[in-house]
Amino acid sequence: MAANPFPLSKEQLLQAYRTMRTIREFEERLHVDFGRGDIPGFVHLYAGEEAAGTGIMVHLGDGDRIASTHRGHGHCIAKGVDVRSMMKEIYGRKGGACEGKGGSMHIADLDKGMMGANGILGAGAPLACGAALAAKFRGQGEVAISFVGDGASNQGTFLESLNLAAVWNLPAIFVVENNGYAESTSRDYGVAVDSYVDRAAGFGLPGVTVDGTDFFAVHEAAGEIIARARKGAGPALLECKMVRFYGHFEGDAQTYRAPGELEQNRAERDCLKKFAAAVTAAGVITTEELTTVDHEVLSLIENAVVAAKAAPLPTAADLTTDVYVAY
Amino acid sequence: MDLAPALAVSLPALGVIANPVSARDIRRVVAHAGNLQISERVNIVIRVLQAARAAGVQRVLLMPDRAGIHAMLDRHLKRGDTQLPEIELLDMEPTSTVEDTFAATRLLQRAGVAAIVVLGGDGTHRAVVRELVAGCGTGAPALPIAGLSTGTNNAFPEMREPTIVGLAAGLYAMGRLDAAESLLPNKLIEVSVLNGSGPPRRDIAIVDAVVTQDRTVGARALWKTQSLAAAYFAFAEPEAIGLSAIGGLLQPVGRREPGGLSVQMATDAQHALLHLNAPIAPGLVRPVAVASWQRMVAGEPLAVSAEAGSVALDGEREFTFGPGERVSMTLREDAFHTLDVKRCMAAAARDGLLATRFPTP
Repeated sequence: MAANPFPLSKEQLLQAYRTMRTIREFEERLHVDFGRGDIPGFVHLYAGEEAAGTGIMVHLGDGDRIASTHRGHGHCIAKGVDVRSMMKEIYGRKGGACEGKGGSMHIADLDKGMMGANGILGAGAPLACGAALAAKFRGQGEVAISFVGDGASNQGTFLESLNLAAVWNLPAIFVVENNGYAESTSRDYGVAVDSYVDRAAGFGLPGVTVDGTDFFAVHEAAGEIIARARKGAGPALLECKMVRFYGHFEGDAQTYRAPGELEQNRAERDCLKKFAAAVTAAGVITTEELTTVDHEVLSLIENAVVAAKAAPLPTAADLTTDVYVAY
Repeated sequence: MDLAPALAVSLPALGVIANPVSARDIRRVVAHAGNLQISERVNIVIRVLQAARAAGVQRVLLMPDRAGIHAMLDRHLKRGDTQLPEIELLDMEPTSTVEDTFAATRLLQRAGVAAIVVLGGDGTHRAVVRELVAGCGTGAPALPIAGLSTGTNNAFPEMREPTIVGLAAGLYAMGRLDAAESLLPNKLIEVSVLNGSGPPRRDIAIVDAVVTQDRTVGARALWKTQSLAAAYFAFAEPEAIGLSAIGGLLQPVGRREPGGLSVQMATDAQHALLHLNAPIAPGLVRPVAVASWQRMVAGEPLAVSAEAGSVALDGEREFTFGPGERVSMTLREDAFHTLDVKRCMAAAARDGLLATRFPTP
């Protein structure tokens, strides 16, 4: 086995691959099950975008908080939320992360620092500012990260949060997951700036744009930005240019895409393929080792679905539980 | 816009490439690299164009973009500025990547413009030169570039007032300056990657080609000096910012003097001959463990000794290589031409190119 030239150990690389593969299989399975009518509500799939969430989250601990988006499954898995409780939640079953009452867009696990997916576009950024302010007061070097899509980056909440984070010098990081479409609107029609680095500069934050389908690019840039925030050097913005393999939501006919666009993305911009090619070419991980992970992940997802389907639905009596919190 | 050859040669034209994606990399986070806003880039373009018009240029071909350079320029035109040449957009779909620079250069070359004004740092200038060199077969391309420093590291483009660059480029485009007097030859590093028996993959650097131990291009820019394995410099000046400062502070090599410089880094402290504090990025002075260095002779390839790693061209990691691939670096002299703004303006003064004499009474 060759010497490891990567900035992660072999175990960390395998774990990163396992996380990305888990997100991919989780989403691919939901695509099938939603199409069969097994799942209530809406789901927005993160397939294709795995390298961004994973490359960022490997730098975080449970004390670091994230505020996710409507497309939150990948963030949850990368942040360490239990896949079985997520599956139950999406299936609307008791035992889910929110006892089956929240569904896909409200999965949260505060023990893991996952403050929640969010059905309101751009609403996560002020929450991350609050978490970052708390982290600043605690003084233990924790950070808070807000994820936002290219569409929601136009929301006032997001822009105000950039300013707030800058004036309060918060350990807050704003990740723009730029997959090129705000629902069905190309970002060229809806975002006035070409580069989010420009937008960040307007608020006094440094920013960087990376290839969000390259795990190592995201990992390196996020590592620098997070380390910088932990030291008290303030907020920053990370733009990940990426692709989503499915529509805005399941059922989206995607008529806004160019012919062949999806096929080309799958062939040329699949972050899992790129990761596997890099680590096997370097001789650090074998194809067989990756295949073993693939099988284990498939088994995990299958078991999660079986358990979700077997779990009971919430009852009328559950409606009034977990509604109010006593402080 | 159709750049048919017949139309292309009808009027002396100037090309302008201002790629808004330049100066966007991580050196804004890990160092204190600048962030030149789009509005300021537009100001620079307007100054170039107004000066070019004053020099007689009536037609400019401009790279389109989606970041607002063209849109803001258009807004300016609608205010009725009559001091600008006719502006034509190149017929290409912008991608907001370096590919735009490549495509625009090819189109400008095909359109037969007299010179290209480039806004950017070392990376953008490299992209233009790469296509110019690739597009001319053997020998140096006849089409010169006039650079304006707006990037992150600016070892290659000189700091100049855009108005003056616009005047010099305009006078040259109108044929009012002698090429032998106006143009300067430049060196470059040719990178060759051999994989098996197929033809080698080639690329170029106009300032520095740097080999690192990284097996990924990661966030592309280089700022961790401990990962450096070797560096090859077309020129290296002691007052430069960027990786070429390493060579510049060890053994300076001027832009116009023959030869280049290669530097081998030490992989551990025991093999280091010295530690050099070099300004490798704006605000970032870092120690570099140097093992040895030697002059490069033009046309003589130097084999890269690292078995695997990545190659950064003019500041950013561009590709990786592994065992089984052989990378070599060759210095090329007289590889492409730049406009010598200083000598152009001296000639303009000497020959009264901007003067209008009144008849003596």
